[in-house]
Amino acid sequence: MGRLLELEKVNLHYKSHNTSVQVIKDADLNIESGEKVAIVGKSGSGKTSLIMLIAGLERPTSGKITFDGKVISALSENELADIRRESIGIVFQSFYLIPNYTALENVSLILEINNVQNARKKAADLLSQFGLADRLNHFPTQLSGGEQQRVAIARSMAVMPKLILADEPTGNLDTENSKLISRLLFDYAKQNNSSFILVTHDQGFAAECDRIIKIEDGKIL
Amino acid sequence: MQDFRYAIRDLTRSYKKLSSIIITLFISLFILSLIINLESGLKKELNNNAKILLGGDFEIDTKNQKIDAKFYNDLKSLGIVSSTIEFSTMLTKSLKGGDNTFFIRLKAVDNNYPLYGEILSKPDGGLQRMQSEDNAILVNKKIFETLKLKINDTVYVKQTPFKVVGFLETVPDLGRAILFGDFAVVNIKAFERLNVTALGSFINYEYKVKTDKDFKSDIEKKLKQYPFYKIRLPEEAANNLKRVITNFSEFLSLVSISAMLIAGIGIANTLISFINEKNISIAILKSVGLRSGNIKKIFYIEIFILLFVISIISYACSVISIPGLNHFITNFGITLQTEFNVVNYLIILSTGLLVVSIFCIPTIASIEQIKATSLFRNVFQLTKFQFSLKNILLIAALIIILLSIFLFRSEKTYYTSMYFLFFFMFCAVFYLLSKIVVFILKKIPAVQTLPLRFAIKNIIQERSIFPITVLSLGIGTTLLLTLTLVGYNFKRELQQSIPEIAPDYFFVSIQKNEKDPFTNFLKLKDKNVRFETVPIVAASLTKINNIDPLTYIKSNNDSYWVLERDRRISWSNVPPKDNPIMDGKWFDVNDKSLQISLDAKVAENFGIQLNDKLTLKIYGKEITGRVINFRKVDYRDLSINFVMIINPNFAATIPHEYIATAKFSDPTLFKEVEFVQTFKNISLIKVANYLGKITDLVNKIFIAVVIISSVVVIIGLMVITSAVVVQARLGIYQNLIFKILGLRSSKLIYANLIEFLFTFISIFFIASLFSLFTSEFVVENIFRLNWNIEIVPMLFVLILVGVLTLILIFINTRRFLKPSVYPLVRNE
Ligand SMILES: Nc1ncnc2c1ncn2[C@@H]1O[C@H](COP(=O)(O)OP(=O)(O)OP(=O)(O)O)[C@@H](O)[C@H]1O
Ligand SMILES: [Mg+2]
Repeated sequence: MGRLLELEKVNLHYKSHNTSVQVIKDADLNIESGEKVAIVGKSGSGKTSLIMLIAGLERPTSGKITFDGKVISALSENELADIRRESIGIVFQSFYLIPNYTALENVSLILEINNVQNARKKAADLLSQFGLADRLNHFPTQLSGGEQQRVAIARSMAVMPKLILADEPTGNLDTENSKLISRLLFDYAKQNNSSFILVTHDQGFAAECDRIIKIEDGKIL
Repeated sequence: MQDFRYAIRDLTRSYKKLSSIIITLFISLFILSLIINLESGLKKELNNNAKILLGGDFEIDTKNQKIDAKFYNDLKSLGIVSSTIEFSTMLTKSLKGGDNTFFIRLKAVDNNYPLYGEILSKPDGGLQRMQSEDNAILVNKKIFETLKLKINDTVYVKQTPFKVVGFLETVPDLGRAILFGDFAVVNIKAFERLNVTALGSFINYEYKVKTDKDFKSDIEKKLKQYPFYKIRLPEEAANNLKRVITNFSEFLSLVSISAMLIAGIGIANTLISFINEKNISIAILKSVGLRSGNIKKIFYIEIFILLFVISIISYACSVISIPGLNHFITNFGITLQTEFNVVNYLIILSTGLLVVSIFCIPTIASIEQIKATSLFRNVFQLTKFQFSLKNILLIAALIIILLSIFLFRSEKTYYTSMYFLFFFMFCAVFYLLSKIVVFILKKIPAVQTLPLRFAIKNIIQERSIFPITVLSLGIGTTLLLTLTLVGYNFKRELQQSIPEIAPDYFFVSIQKNEKDPFTNFLKLKDKNVRFETVPIVAASLTKINNIDPLTYIKSNNDSYWVLERDRRISWSNVPPKDNPIMDGKWFDVNDKSLQISLDAKVAENFGIQLNDKLTLKIYGKEITGRVINFRKVDYRDLSINFVMIINPNFAATIPHEYIATAKFSDPTLFKEVEFVQTFKNISLIKVANYLGKITDLVNKIFIAVVIISSVVVIIGLMVITSAVVVQARLGIYQNLIFKILGLRSSKLIYANLIEFLFTFISIFFIASLFSLFTSEFVVENIFRLNWNIEIVPMLFVLILVGVLTLILIFINTRRFLKPSVYPLVRNE
């Protein structure tokens, strides 16, 4: 197992008007390949901010983030986009599927932009594994919340990324659907030896992970 | 390739949201295609028919003189010669008369006529009878119908009876009379019966030759012995008409490119609201690692596919509708053919491409503002136009290319560049105006009235559409007002004010010995008659400062007509009252040499200065004189006007005749028939009839201008709609929250109304001011007419624009206030 992600003394400030909010304070964090990590903490403690930093969507005010051997805090927007495309899958609390693409197209899109052959067939197989074989040609508005989230997870996993980031993926779902979703995440990560970082308020869910990281007022405890 | 596939997929699913782009693009490209096709079609027809319009492979211009017999025989050895005589005269139904007097161009033709083309007449056999019988006449259809003529009825020309053998539809080479005029054709033998004894200045002798030999060198050799004669080739036929067409279509294409530029604003608005609607999709694409550049590329591909398809459709539509326009140009005597011209299409496509790119660059660049982080935070900021330095430079470059295309195509580079200069200046002023209003409103302390507060907030907020609405509505209204003012001035000048000052009659071909009996006759009939009798003689301008002007003044010069054939000139001791002297002094009576007073506009167009030497050829003799002064001449006032007036003590000895105008205190005192019987050789033209023909032409031009301006309005309104839609989307959450909080929707409507009033009042004055200024410039400097404010049409246009805009705003806002918006919100 090699090291996949390393954060060293990462700080994140938000400047608004004349006040500056320190959202992440001196965060140090190591994550190995294949490791499954849960992040827990109170609302406003900085969980989402941390995820965005790791995804390269937000730049640290100071500190160094290394992903898969590359110092991502020093890369350009386009290089970051390339890394996300090939190696990072993201799952959002509000699912966020492309509204005028069908379930199948939402998944195959990511394969196509990575120039994967037979993208549609692979996407269809994946969705079938997620129990959506008869929903392939439905548009997001024609899917239930749980179904939409399964499509979103399928999308994040389609290219077999090294790291999956999920920000409260079950926050909007009932218990039964939550269980199903977490099952899918764990099974898939195991099969592909992917790592994932999961923000969750669900104690049971967190307990299944290899490690639980607590965050309070922007500090990793 | 992959991007192309996404673009197609996206387009097929969301083209409805782009419908306003599709419509604006279609309308503006269609109009532009129509104008360009019409222009090239007309010019092509004129070129194809050049031999028919000229009436031969070449014509010998004898300066209105009868041709030398020896030269005539030489011509015959080259090919078939057709000689015709054309002059203006009158035709009546009976000797006792009545009101049905026609001023006509009578053409006497030999049996070789026409060499090219054909005389179209009805019924069959009429043509043969006209050629063989020596008292037969063919009249044009209008005379035939107005006088309710039947075959074999008798009409009179100069008191001589002629038998009507049919009516003419067209004559191939009608020359000058082509635009408005009644005409009739007789054969040469019949003409001799008329016994025309004029000095010749009103009679045109035309000699045309048809030959398959290479005649040029031969003719040139022969012409050496006849220095007065000139050869005219088919290329020179219909020069006047070509110039009119060029000027008019250039004007229209400028208006249509303005419409396109305004349309560009609408396209940008629609596109940015389209991007905003897709912000989630865009954010997702970014979160899964697609580069901004790729996403932008997809949008560019989509818009260019649209443009490509629409340009083809609109071009095809314009080609299809060309035959429908033939109805409008029957006066020109030509019929347009439908054809697909690749060069024209490429001009349309590249114009569209440039306009679309100019407006899409800052719009599509706004995609960079959409951040994937929004997906975590669940908030989506609306994007705004993005002007980076690189974008601005690119846009500037594209604008320069666009303008160069139009300047390059233009024959009037000066006016075209002035037009663009003003267009962009006005855009800048309106934009600045909106910023000033925002600045002032920001300074105003918070007001109590709720709707007013909302309205002000809407205007001053960061992403307000206020500047765009002011800009597009302002430019659109200015253009429309200007066209309205120009149109109305044009119409008024030609229809209303002129008859008041214009004479009732023109009299031509008054011989020296008839001058006194003629004046006595008029005074006897009406002692308060106002009349003017002036001597005339035909002269041609052969040299300017000893150089033949035809060597350097081209046929696209506005004053080329002065050189084209003989002009009538006059002489006078005093300057004409309505011809103010612009520069120089009136004639020096002590100076016996030739002194010339010249039309100021002609002097400007030819680059003639005071004291320059002009050489005139009068009765074959060349004399050189100096230009002493410039007069401002307004040919449209229908009084007697001359390009050149010379000093009397020089001219008195030249053989001449007179022309006259008369205005009677009571027109019924003057009896046309009695006059015609008394003065057989004097022709009279009733001004009212003549004006009627001009009015007809002006009405057609007016219709064209109105159609084009309505297009500008439609496009302007589409732009406003798109802007309103953008703002409605922006305000939608806000409006909904207000509603949920229990605010009545009437309050929100008030707020919209107030906001609109701010917009409208801001542009009202500036647009009016600009249009007054530009229309005055156009009317006085380009058309050389008098300019007046036309308050009523102006207010009408302003109110119309206001009401239409208001209705549009309400329709669009209501859509977003209805309960059905809730599901819309949930999906977004
Ligand atoms: N753009 C911003 N400007 C200023 N402060 C911000 C900004 N974005 C986030 N914050 C602040 O950063 C802190 C951390 O936010 P973050 O979204 O990371 O919290 P979280 O742990 O994900 O909370 P939750 O569980 O409620 O989602 C919050 O206090 C928030 O107010
Ligand atoms: Mg969060």
